[in-house]
Amino acid sequence: MGKPKANVDKKKCLACGGCISVCPQDAISWIGNKAEVNPEKCISCAICIRTCPIGAISGEGY
Amino acid sequence: MKYDVVIIGSGPAGSVTARFAADGEAKVLVIERRAEVGVPILCGEGISRKIDEWKIIEGKRWIAGRMDGARIYSPDKTCVTLGAEQAGDETGYVVYRDIFDQELARNAIKAGATFMMNTQAIGLIKEGDKIKGVRAKRFDGELKIEADIVVGADGVESKIGQWAGIDTRLDPKDLETCAQYTLTNIDVKDAYCDFYLGKEIAPGGYVWVFPKGKNIANVGIGILASLSEAGRAKKLLDDFIAKDPRMKNSSPIRFLAGAVPVANPVETVRDNLILIGDAARHVDPITGGGLTHCLEGGKIAGEVIAKAVKAKNFSQGFLSEYETRWKEAFGQKIKRNYLVKELMLDMDDKTFNKLANALKDVKFEEISTHSLVKEVAKHLPISAKLNALIKYRKEIKEIKKK
Repeated sequence: MGKPKANVDKKKCLACGGCISVCPQDAISWIGNKAEVNPEKCISCAICIRTCPIGAISGEGY
Repeated sequence: MKYDVVIIGSGPAGSVTARFAADGEAKVLVIERRAEVGVPILCGEGISRKIDEWKIIEGKRWIAGRMDGARIYSPDKTCVTLGAEQAGDETGYVVYRDIFDQELARNAIKAGATFMMNTQAIGLIKEGDKIKGVRAKRFDGELKIEADIVVGADGVESKIGQWAGIDTRLDPKDLETCAQYTLTNIDVKDAYCDFYLGKEIAPGGYVWVFPKGKNIANVGIGILASLSEAGRAKKLLDDFIAKDPRMKNSSPIRFLAGAVPVANPVETVRDNLILIGDAARHVDPITGGGLTHCLEGGKIAGEVIAKAVKAKNFSQGFLSEYETRWKEAFGQKIKRNYLVKELMLDMDDKTFNKLANALKDVKFEEISTHSLVKEVAKHLPISAKLNALIKYRKEIKEIKKK
């Protein structure tokens, strides 16, 4: 198992779009008006995790 | 489905563009991924009084309260005041952004634009390299919307630019990550907007208190994403509120998150494509304010689009009139304030305290970042001035290279 990939808690996400704008891999998109990470594109850089103002994104093993 | 122009996003930039394009007889469609224009709100809701001069929005329903001036507090709470007494007029408004956005949308629809809600752009329609419209998802179905011009008004998280080959990804040092409560039963007495600076309070940003009326205010925070940790913005905001005696008996009626680009603008024009608003990074990098640019830029974009439709010319060359005109209107200001932002990041709390102390009795003639920056420049320590000069020269060199 590699480094943990970012995962958005959709119950917490307030849809500000910050994570989408800073993702260097363009790996995050709106799915049902919440941010969602595509684990195949995610490179585990954790930029989105640190950016989220409310802590709705965490690292998760796949 | 074929339109002259399809606009992605029904925020102020999208709606104003739609209105002026439709005024010029273009057939306009606006698509919005959300179920309601302006909801959820993602904004501190302050706007300059310049809006009155533009006559872009009617009535008063969108105004929550008058803004009489601004107070900027340095880390040691030295206060610099930019007041209406000096400016001789009110300085702006705190608005209800949901109503504000909906009024702008109504004006666009009155001018002839069509809006489609719950409709999310998922890609561009291309023939070879040529952009021919957007693919969109609506409920469970997919639809193709053909258009001669695609306008990306899709916010800080814009994908339209990316799909067209414009790199709109933001460096974390160019994004403010934000959280905001609307607090009621808060002890605010006047119509001044307060700003609090400091590395401990809001690293790379500020805390704001924007009164929306008697005993109600938006209390929010923006911190630089490069200085953020998971959930740090909210935590710092909660700390601020816990310590402020005015907020002791307050309670929130709304909580929201936000993200504001504080970057240099990107390329905004390609063949058959325009970017606008937050998607184009049309935000003042010092204040994080972008509403007035959306209105000004939207008007320019709408007018240029209408011309393009009449001339049946959708080339980058023809549409570049939009880029030339927004650069004249506010592009220089954004570039200059970006340099100032970079400079401010290098300053420590002690420097901010010193500056505030030097400026605390200054009577500002105008309430703008420009007049503030001019005064700050007079009092900057030599080291900071040198820094600015070096950065400025580097910037000029880069521009010359291009």
